[in-house]
Amino acid sequence: MKIHLKTFILLGVVAMLSFSLNSFAQDNTAKFKLKPGAYGKLCLECHPGFQDKLKKQHVHTPVKNGNCTGCHNPHTSAFSKLLESDASKICISCHKTLIVANALSVHKPVADGSCMKCHDPHSSANKNNLLKTGNELCLECHKSLAETLAKVKVKHNPVEKGCLNCHDPHASVKDDSLLKERVTALCVSCHKTDRPSFIKQHMNYPVATSRCTSCHDPHGSDRKGILYNNVHKPVSTRMCNQCHEEATSSSPLKVKRDGAELCRGCHSDMFNATFGKKRMHSPLLSKKGCLTCHNPHAGKEKGLLKEAPLVLCGSCHADTIKRQAKSVTKHEPVKNGNCVACHDPHASDSALLAKQASVVDLCATCHDWMKHSTHPIGDKFVDPRNKNATLNCLSCHRSHGTEYKGMMPFPAISDLCTQCHEQFRR
Amino acid sequence: MRSIVLWSLFVLTTMYPLGCYGADALKLRYLGVILGDIKEVGLKKPEGVACDDQGQIVIADTENGRLVRYTLQDNALKGGGEIKVPEVVFPVRVQLSSKGSIFVLDGQQRKLAQLTPEGTFVKYVTPVGVNPPNVVPKSFKLDSRDNIYLLDIAGERVLEIDPTGKLLAQFPFPKNYGAMSDLAVTAGGDVLLLDSAKSTLYIAKKDAPQFAPFTKGLQEYLNFATNMLTSSRSADIYLIDQDGGAIVILGPDGLFKGRQLSLGWRNGQLYYPQQMCINKNGDVVIADRGNSRVQLFENLK
Repeated sequence: MKIHLKTFILLGVVAMLSFSLNSFAQDNTAKFKLKPGAYGKLCLECHPGFQDKLKKQHVHTPVKNGNCTGCHNPHTSAFSKLLESDASKICISCHKTLIVANALSVHKPVADGSCMKCHDPHSSANKNNLLKTGNELCLECHKSLAETLAKVKVKHNPVEKGCLNCHDPHASVKDDSLLKERVTALCVSCHKTDRPSFIKQHMNYPVATSRCTSCHDPHGSDRKGILYNNVHKPVSTRMCNQCHEEATSSSPLKVKRDGAELCRGCHSDMFNATFGKKRMHSPLLSKKGCLTCHNPHAGKEKGLLKEAPLVLCGSCHADTIKRQAKSVTKHEPVKNGNCVACHDPHASDSALLAKQASVVDLCATCHDWMKHSTHPIGDKFVDPRNKNATLNCLSCHRSHGTEYKGMMPFPAISDLCTQCHEQFRR
Repeated sequence: MRSIVLWSLFVLTTMYPLGCYGADALKLRYLGVILGDIKEVGLKKPEGVACDDQGQIVIADTENGRLVRYTLQDNALKGGGEIKVPEVVFPVRVQLSSKGSIFVLDGQQRKLAQLTPEGTFVKYVTPVGVNPPNVVPKSFKLDSRDNIYLLDIAGERVLEIDPTGKLLAQFPFPKNYGAMSDLAVTAGGDVLLLDSAKSTLYIAKKDAPQFAPFTKGLQEYLNFATNMLTSSRSADIYLIDQDGGAIVILGPDGLFKGRQLSLGWRNGQLYYPQQMCINKNGDVVIADRGNSRVQLFENLK
């Protein structure tokens, strides 16, 4: 009797589904006044290539049901490929759950509505209509990661098996970087933190709830234990207690001093030089101190920077980076993220944390020719516009670029020259 | 009929300019420049300036390690005397109290000093009874009662203290802030906080212990704002756009109202300006650091 009941329910569901599909087909048949039996076949008369697509293993449901008008308008459309709406919005009209309101991270193609970067809207030999299988699809865009994965000496097994082991391809409500779970939860699902070897490797510190990626590169590295390639010396020498309380103490992960004071003990030379300067970079004086820009354990970037310099500096000075991006002429150090070529990231006696007091001397570290063959510049030449200023490179150029050639602040050279040489103004 | 047309034209021509001024609130016209002191020693990268209702202008002549005082009366500058005390080596921000005392932030020592109206050092203003005790003042403002609001970047908070240093209140920075660089106190007693990195203002309403977002990101209207001032008359908020060389005006509701001045080297233009003040006539004084000068503007409103 139980079997009969199950069969009955199953048949009921099938009947309801077919009824709904049939009614949808009837709706469209009526909507477009199709000839009887034309629904699902009419389009194929002119698009015979679709017969091959329909034979593929995974076919998009509307295509399988012959419901071409689910996405396309057979007569006219304001959008390419006769789509019913903008290509970036049409998928979401059915796949509404892919847009997560409280997501901590969203995959850019999803945010942009570029679903077809990963999926074929009609059919595919791959599950979920994906264009390619496994990591091949992801690494097509994430090229620098692909290069890294090919080169690293110590590989992380889950990465080899597939990006989707750790990442959700659409969005995550749990963590950054589309992670399926919080970093630590994800790692400890494989790495048992109560194993003696794990405890020993971590010098008896209770790291089970710490963020693993503050030391380990989840995509692999050249160092044992997939530590990032740049490791802070106390970590590489396993001297955690240089900065943290003893592992046996009641608060083993607590740092011995707050903010920059903790770093001062070892980096005293840098501190003495920095704190003796007239102007300090504010983040260094903030509560986070050095950790505003540096990782305390390990990192990808040289100097244990949290990010590549252009990203790191740009996180506060976005306007400067934006200006360079828009600039007709690119200034090489800015373009390459070498902000420290001109600015001291810690402190300086000069405004804007310039590395040298003299603008001319600073520019001449690269442009040495201007010291001997240029428009008069230097301390001896007073700016005709302001007797408190002397002529220097920044009297005519903006170091982070402008919308005009040569990083000049005016569209025409004559506009620039007549700023001072007013007698030639027309 | 003709009289109606003429009357309409008259109303339009008289009311339209008023409407324009209302929209922008601040209309600046170049008035003059201060290039040095009475002995013609030039200013060097001045970062601070303060005004009071008696016409006094005190300049933080930063790289000369001194203050310079002028008086502006009937559009004429008088004075220009130097105030130099060994306790202040690198003045970056200045404010004047209702009694004429000079408060100056030393950027190198990161200490707030109080001077008499004559310019004699009185003391460093040190907050008493704060926890944690480490205070690094990035900026400060005085309110109408001469209470001091310190922007403490080490403690991630704003401290309200009385002139003796006694703690009256503290407001923690909001979560996920970028880089706090200045604060302002409105006539109603609200505290505004400027996040330069996120181009956003936060507000702690009077008697409220927390900062809440006041504006959305203002990136569309400014580059990198580092200084803020509230107008006691219009309740407008003025931001100095350091990287853009301009003054950005927000209404009391935090909405963008306008932008004045532009980047450059000529008189009337700004190059990495740092602090501004407004006197009782509405004249605006700006420490134009990049041009090593202080500029005066008349408010045409």
